[in-house]
Amino acid sequence: MSSPPVLEPAGPAGPCDAEDGRRFPALRAILAERSTRFGLVLVGLVVLSALLAPVAAALTGHGPDQQFRAEALTTEGLPVGPNAEFLLGADGNGRDVLVRTLYGARISLLVGIPATTLALVAGTAVGLVAGFFPGAADRVLSFGTDIALSFPFVVTALSLVALNRGADGRPVIDPVLLVILVISLFAWTYFARLTRGLVVVLRNRPFVEAALTIGVSRRRLLVREILPNVLPVVAVYWAVQLPANILAEATLSFLGVGVQAPTASWGNMIAEAQRTSLYQVQPWFLLAPAIAMFVTVLGFNAIGSGIRNVLDPQR
Amino acid sequence: MARHLFAHAARALLTLLAVLVLTFALTRIAYRNPAAVLAPRNATQETLDGITRALRLDEPWYLQLWHYLYRGPDVQGAPMGLFHWPPALGYSFRRQQPVTELILSKIPVTLSLALGALVIWMTLSILLGVAAARRPGSWTDRVISTFCSAGLAAPTFVTGILLSYFLYFTLSTYGVRWFPSGGYVGLTEDPVEWARHLALPWLTITIAEIGVFQRVVRANMLDVLGSDYIRTARAKGVSERRIHFDHALRAALNPIITLGGLELAALMGGAIVTEQIFGLDGVGRLAVESALSGDFPVVIGTTILAATFFVISGFVVDVITYLRDPAASR
Repeated sequence: MSSPPVLEPAGPAGPCDAEDGRRFPALRAILAERSTRFGLVLVGLVVLSALLAPVAAALTGHGPDQQFRAEALTTEGLPVGPNAEFLLGADGNGRDVLVRTLYGARISLLVGIPATTLALVAGTAVGLVAGFFPGAADRVLSFGTDIALSFPFVVTALSLVALNRGADGRPVIDPVLLVILVISLFAWTYFARLTRGLVVVLRNRPFVEAALTIGVSRRRLLVREILPNVLPVVAVYWAVQLPANILAEATLSFLGVGVQAPTASWGNMIAEAQRTSLYQVQPWFLLAPAIAMFVTVLGFNAIGSGIRNVLDPQR
Repeated sequence: MARHLFAHAARALLTLLAVLVLTFALTRIAYRNPAAVLAPRNATQETLDGITRALRLDEPWYLQLWHYLYRGPDVQGAPMGLFHWPPALGYSFRRQQPVTELILSKIPVTLSLALGALVIWMTLSILLGVAAARRPGSWTDRVISTFCSAGLAAPTFVTGILLSYFLYFTLSTYGVRWFPSGGYVGLTEDPVEWARHLALPWLTITIAEIGVFQRVVRANMLDVLGSDYIRTARAKGVSERRIHFDHALRAALNPIITLGGLELAALMGGAIVTEQIFGLDGVGRLAVESALSGDFPVVIGTTILAATFFVISGFVVDVITYLRDPAASR
């Protein structure tokens, strides 16, 4: 049928584990995977740099948006390379690349985590209802998911951001908030499909029939019995979806419609390095945010593939 | 067959209609008070009322929706909507040009970029996927999958910039001018220059896509290679090469066709980042520029175009999978 392009996991493997009686056997197996550990180390590094960004700023005495035109730019106005004071050199405005990259980690997580969480909540709600009530409710919600999927992400995000402009040309709502909303507007479909698949399997389990027979209300059944079975799997896939959303923020910021300067985001740092071509004299201006971006996505992807290996071994 | 396809076509049309209605809702939010935005400064109330009437903002929403579909997302001038014949996408006042004409002029660039990249990444993914699936867990398999997961983790804009830095900038400082810095030369003008200008953009897209596609080819190959009929073929003495490329690959190809079609559609809606980096004047760049300058008719036009590509490709992919294997697609 019209299945989506997402590489979505075949769900049913998950909930069986939760039924075992032991609390989280799957979690232990996931943590035993080599790629999960590798990913956790990388992600730990990223989280640590996000947390320590203000410390680095205090130690170097360079604020993330502070410009040191006298010290960090040569007489021709070109940024200096790595030296004792600017460990990774400066950018075109004489700002510390290292400090900005560390602050960029904050923005990435600050956008990625809420966006993914919001998508999880909305998508799980839709998936629960669609999976539990076959027929009209399912058809309408699945059609809604199809529609959301047929909107191209970047172009739609561009138009939504373009609409965020009041009569005076200033943004109506905070661009960071808007980016979070736009990303979750697309990412929920992934959770909706995942949850729907899980619920359809659970719905036919004996314990659900038993509960219905003894007169448990459908609402209570959904919230008290089905949701707890679905939630661990959905929570695990939160980590799988997160890097895609971090990448989405960086892409929007790179195109100039996401996080706005002077706030440091890896996307807008890379865009600035490219636009000014200054990375040709100060490569770290480009490399620092690029490597940070790469490490972050690689780390989360590794965790994701560890999870897939356990929950979905046939892939 | 016919019934299956008809149901899918109806669904696709309905999806497109929903997309149209949603874009209409967007323009209504955009033009919060269009009359005030369009009116000259110090306009009298009378002028404002005149504009409101001209834009039919005083009519009920369903009539406004009809005007939107018939006249397009523009606010005045000749009817240029999708439901008008010939269908069009409105008029860009900023560029003083019909949106349809504007988009059509950019299509060759995006089409060359997307189709060329598709051919390259599909070929490479299939070759690498088959090579990796020959002996899973082997040295070859590991090298290939490391390379592919690196490609998956590198954002397009980083790969693109690094490629142009090393393969254009660094090479040209040594006097090697294999690749131009950017731009586009038409295929009919000069096929060699066309390919030379598109080589780096193609490579950029290929690196981004190969991570996903190689993995899918490998997984499906392994799946098929474990099945009974392959064992039978081996028992009959069919050569390994034929087993891999003839028997297994053919069966493993279906998911790749599906994914490839949808990915192609996504790129046709604008390979936005790649076009931006290599200065290719395609649909994606048009969308970005219009969004940044607030040219709504163009932004909406490109959104509708991309959604249309997506829905159509879903349909075409469905037809192809059906023709290849009617039983598999229910």
